[in-house]
Amino acid sequence: MTAAPPQIEIGLHKLRRTYMEGRREHVVLDDINAGFVRGESVAIRGRSGSGKSTLLNLIGAIDVPDSGEIVVSGVNLTKLSERDRTLFRRRHVGFVYQAFNLIPTLSVADNIRFVLELNQVDARAASQRIDELLTAVGLADRAASYPDVLSGGEQQRVAIARALSHRPSLLIADEPTGNLDDRTADDVLRLLNDLVRENGGTLLIATHSARIAASCDRSFQLHNGKLEETKVEETMSRSDT
Amino acid sequence: MIPVTWRANFGYLLRHPWQLALALLGIAVGVAVIVAVDLANASARKAFLLSMDAVTGEATHQVVGGPGGIPEETYVQLRTVHGIRSIAPVIGGYVTVADTQLQLMGVDLFAEQEMRSFTAEASKSTTAGGTNVEALIRGFLTEPGTVTMSRRTAALLELEVGDRFEVIADGRLHNAVLLGVFGDADAAGLDRLLTTDIATAQVWLDQLGFISRIDVRVDDGDNAMVERLESVLPDGTRLLTAAGRTRTTADLSAAFMTNLTAMSLLALLVGLFLIYNSVSFSVLQRRGLIGIQRALGVTRGELYVLILGEAALIGLVAACIGVLAGLWLGEQLLMLVSQSINDFYYRVNVTDVVANPLSIAKGIAAGVGVALLAAAVPAIEASSYHPRLAMTRSTLEQRTRRLLPVVALAGCAAIVVAAAVLMFSGRNLVAGLSAVFLLILGFALCIPLLIRVISRTLAPAAKRIGGTLASMAISGIAASLSRTGVAIVALAVAVSATIGVSVMVDSFRGSVRQWLDQTLQADIYAGVERGSMDPAVLADLVALPGVENYSTSRRSFLEDEDGRTQLVVIQMAPDSYAGTEILDADPAEVWPAWESDDVVLVSEPYAYRNGVALGDTIELRTAAGERDFRIAATYQSYDINASALLISRSTYDRHWNDDGIDSIGLYLADGVDAQKVLQRIESVSAGRQQIRFESNQRIRDLSLEIFDRTFIITDVLYWLAIVVALIGILGAMLAMQLERAREFAVLRALGMTPAQLGGMITLQSAVIGLFSGIAAIPLGVVMAYVLIEVINRRAFGWQIDMTFAGGIFFSALLFAVGAAVLAGLYPAYRAAQSQPALAMREE
Amino acid sequence: MRAFGMALFASLICVAGVTAIGENDAANGSRLAELLGSGDDRGFARALQPRSFSFPQDHGPHPEYRNEWWYLTGNLDGDGGRRFGFELTFFRFALEPSMPETDSNWRSNQVYIAHLAITDAAGEKFYVAQRYSRSALALAGAQAEPFRVWIDDWEISTESAENSNVWRLQAGEREFGLDLLLTAVKPPVFNGIDGLSQKSAEPGNASYYYSITRWQTEGLLRIGSAQFRVSGLSWLDREWSSSALAADQLGWDWFALQLSDGTELMFYNLRRNDGRRDSHSAGTWIAANGEASHIDSGDLDIVVTDQWQSPSGGVYPAAWTLRLPKKSLTLNVRPILDNQELITTVRYWEGAVDLSGDRDGKTIGGRGYVELTGYATATRGQWP
Repeated sequence: MTAAPPQIEIGLHKLRRTYMEGRREHVVLDDINAGFVRGESVAIRGRSGSGKSTLLNLIGAIDVPDSGEIVVSGVNLTKLSERDRTLFRRRHVGFVYQAFNLIPTLSVADNIRFVLELNQVDARAASQRIDELLTAVGLADRAASYPDVLSGGEQQRVAIARALSHRPSLLIADEPTGNLDDRTADDVLRLLNDLVRENGGTLLIATHSARIAASCDRSFQLHNGKLEETKVEETMSRSDT
Repeated sequence: MIPVTWRANFGYLLRHPWQLALALLGIAVGVAVIVAVDLANASARKAFLLSMDAVTGEATHQVVGGPGGIPEETYVQLRTVHGIRSIAPVIGGYVTVADTQLQLMGVDLFAEQEMRSFTAEASKSTTAGGTNVEALIRGFLTEPGTVTMSRRTAALLELEVGDRFEVIADGRLHNAVLLGVFGDADAAGLDRLLTTDIATAQVWLDQLGFISRIDVRVDDGDNAMVERLESVLPDGTRLLTAAGRTRTTADLSAAFMTNLTAMSLLALLVGLFLIYNSVSFSVLQRRGLIGIQRALGVTRGELYVLILGEAALIGLVAACIGVLAGLWLGEQLLMLVSQSINDFYYRVNVTDVVANPLSIAKGIAAGVGVALLAAAVPAIEASSYHPRLAMTRSTLEQRTRRLLPVVALAGCAAIVVAAAVLMFSGRNLVAGLSAVFLLILGFALCIPLLIRVISRTLAPAAKRIGGTLASMAISGIAASLSRTGVAIVALAVAVSATIGVSVMVDSFRGSVRQWLDQTLQADIYAGVERGSMDPAVLADLVALPGVENYSTSRRSFLEDEDGRTQLVVIQMAPDSYAGTEILDADPAEVWPAWESDDVVLVSEPYAYRNGVALGDTIELRTAAGERDFRIAATYQSYDINASALLISRSTYDRHWNDDGIDSIGLYLADGVDAQKVLQRIESVSAGRQQIRFESNQRIRDLSLEIFDRTFIITDVLYWLAIVVALIGILGAMLAMQLERAREFAVLRALGMTPAQLGGMITLQSAVIGLFSGIAAIPLGVVMAYVLIEVINRRAFGWQIDMTFAGGIFFSALLFAVGAAVLAGLYPAYRAAQSQPALAMREE
Repeated sequence: MRAFGMALFASLICVAGVTAIGENDAANGSRLAELLGSGDDRGFARALQPRSFSFPQDHGPHPEYRNEWWYLTGNLDGDGGRRFGFELTFFRFALEPSMPETDSNWRSNQVYIAHLAITDAAGEKFYVAQRYSRSALALAGAQAEPFRVWIDDWEISTESAENSNVWRLQAGEREFGLDLLLTAVKPPVFNGIDGLSQKSAEPGNASYYYSITRWQTEGLLRIGSAQFRVSGLSWLDREWSSSALAADQLGWDWFALQLSDGTELMFYNLRRNDGRRDSHSAGTWIAANGEASHIDSGDLDIVVTDQWQSPSGGVYPAAWTLRLPKKSLTLNVRPILDNQELITTVRYWEGAVDLSGDRDGKTIGGRGYVELTGYATATRGQWP
């Protein structure tokens, strides 16, 4: 169970994405070019509505750009059908959301098992993996609980476990600590970083927090539809508070 | 200027048009069903009363006689000896003109002015010379076959004044002339009424020497006149109030109409769930909005007004749509209703639906009322939250969950009350039906808890078999009980109604079939539809080669204050006694006494309704006055007018002056081809009297056909209930889909394909159907039992053994699942279209 | 002359409870005359020449003729001198000359109508009632031996077959009624020429007409709950025909007067559309010994001396002076009550009158009945 994730590279070429706002065209992403190497953690910063989520949706194979190309691990996502993109997400991408987005009708364990089932992991292996992950996020004793009895931090840790359960090569986190207090946020963030690195996958975090950005290998700023790399401040790196 | 708060709420509805549409549709369908059945019933009854009123005219009383009518001498005596002037002789019957059945009324125009105005009104339209009145009187008195009818009836038959046409009465053909027409274009009460001189009527209806009744007009409070009349009326006649007579005739069909109303209430009950579901959902859906409004300072009272005002408006709009639909539906139903009434009870000339304001008001009140009620509960709940606590889904479901045991307990209480009502309400039909509804309601209240228990039990098993996906589908239902619960209840009630009604109808049909097999002993039956058979024709028929034996029968009625007593007069063929099932005595002892003594057999319904039993005596008004008859036994009969006394021909002839025979049963010798005899019957009766004759088998088939026709209405109504339930499922599933849009988006983002997601929703629908089906089975069985007990026993007096057709439960389950899946298809499709990008959006 | 009775056939209309005469019905007598006088009478027997009467057969019906009536009027005194008048009339009408064959006892071509009117002069009340029926079963009819004519429980009958000079009249409503015994004190007189009474020029427009002009009358009269023992004199008119009136006859005034000296005068004054007296007007003078003599139109002079305005419309003559020079008779005729108008579909006035005057220079009194038709402004009235 320790097979190394495939060496992937994320390439963004001349990405353009617009939305119609009434009759006016609103350009969210404009000529985005970037490349992320396998195993690094990348922070994407920007104000609300700057297009962070849009960019993550494109990279996560949820959305397609108006023009340009997204190549992930040698696969050109823009050429994939909706179904293939779904299968790509299922196999290679993990998501962590600001609102946790656990499935309320499933227990903690089942939330994770759900993803494993989608990836056709056999039941025994799945149970093992679930135990492993819940132990890793420190919730081994809450496997049978339902999401609504968990605290926000706990829910997000389950979400991280779920997102990593199938060992995705890419983990996308959209404001993962936005709904958490600072202390919990740091715990969650550390957990996220550790686990992603352990798996050897790439981590993309959308955030408006400079502190979080500082904890990443690289940091980008999204502004007026353009993506620019910014210098990571060493002092903030791996801060323990 | 509409206040912003209103716009905020309405804007929500307008942006969710399907939800608005469903709420409207739900209420409209519910209202339409209520209005339709009510209108159909009311129109049938009103048409009947109208025509009774028109025909009764000014008469306050009626003198009725025995089966053969009143000797005409009785009338002459009243006038010449007793000087009673405000009386009019009437001969009533039915004839057929151009395949249309018409009521025939034979009158004496000279006596008519005391009673009715329309009979002479036709004088305005006669074309003959002299004064019009003179022409009318001259025609009626001196020219046999002259008739008048209402303008509308003439138009219906495409006849003009002066036209000659043929009338079939008692199976015989007569020539008629339309002398004049009466009535306005809207005088519906006079529809399908043919008036003629009493002399013509006597000949046509073969009532020479007799009249059907004497109409009497007694001035208000003139008790002396009533007493005088009663003292001079001969034995064998009785003075009844006209209103009472109309009422008892109308009451004949009361049980039938009550049952129809019951069926409509069933549809309504299901409709109520739907209305409740639609309206309450549209409120709950906005709990966030409500929370914000509360936070912004909208008071609780203002919120109530807002929510209830909206509900009332939606209810009103939908109710209006429903009323329009109900008018249309009512017309369709009316045809079925009047058909059944005509089949079994009395002639009712229904031409159009009377847009009875009361029926419409009822429908609108139900629509608005339920909408208000449905909105009130969530409105109170929604506004009771602390403003900041913009209710989350889970708090709502937690509340629902906490309420479940309470609701179920209330349900159990309702069931107990229903059982008590059933046990202690005796023969009361309305109480019985109320108990049925209480029972359904009670059971419905238990269903949500049942679902929770079932889904808890089923979920692990489902996980083992179908994985997390299946378990998610099942637990999703239990988790959204506030949504799914009502839909499941609605479908369960509708399906249980199909089980209950099917089991009842099947059991009933089985009993009827068995009874027909036993009762129809003769090989061929021949008779006239109304009136009596021509004795000469009858003699020729029984003398046909191949006919070994025959039986005769006559159906006649004795009227009194309490209604009509039906006498079934039979002259049995040897060895045909076994055709009548004796329920409570030794046939070997019963039959000889029945043939020779003053005894009668009572049908089971008669015994039930009149509370009489073996050994009791019944007083009957014979031609020689009141006589006692002993009840020798109870016999089985599933005739719809089965409340009857079976009396032997010889006993009947001893006590009444009526030698008429309606029909005969011919017993053929072994090896005789019935088909050949049937052909001979045709040639024997041709040109003499129109005799209806059918083989044993054909009668059986026809009877079952009529039986089935009666239950078409039942079918129609419970299909309506199903449709209503399906709309409920559709609404609930759509609601869930809307609420869980984010969850679905997450699932999609996590890698579920649209097909997988759609499949899961469909599975969920199927499980909802399954739950409904499971819940419906016990309810259906109880309902079948109660329907048989209440409807068959209380309304008609039949005792029926409950039988379950094989596979009824399985097909009910299959049906429930199929219906739910069907209703869930569109929501599943919508869910499959979920955009995974939604998952990213912040709440 | 009671030809007017024929018009009553139209009162059958009240059967309808509505006024059902055609819109074009003129409010005048000529319409009635047309209606009843010259309809299709083919198949009916006609009064073409004098006949020999025989009794009691001719008291009975003559169904081969179209119309027939038994007309009884009288003046009565009750206990304490309370003054009454009465009219009891039975009309017979044949709808067709023959009856169709049928098995029903109700089939009939004969219709009977009866009118009962009582005048209570002291109470100033006039009571009217009407009956009608087909002549079928025993509902209504007439027979000669023993004589009887009836509708429902109203009837005129002989007490016994042996004594056909004594008739009993029984008729009543809830509010009033009578039960009288009439004894004829004079034999029948035959009006016109030996009982053939010509009404207009055309042959056959005539009736057979006899009267018994003086009956001693006694019996009971009931008004409300009050019973009166009454006695007085009555008059019978019997007439049958198939057609009688001419188209230009508007109406008539009929006088049946019983004088205190034992004589009677009957006269009918036929009024033409142009207002003049029709020359077929005629009468009969009956001497105290019963001997009758014909009175021609020119023999009698009539002067109207008073008028009465009917509340229902129309102005009737309400007092007359009659001069019959042949008998040296002058009579003032005055109704005992102004309003003795029968409001039926065809309105007419028929009432008791008092007489005063002189004959041969000697004061004379008497009583009688007068019938007036063709005065109502509209013939269409409402029944009752």
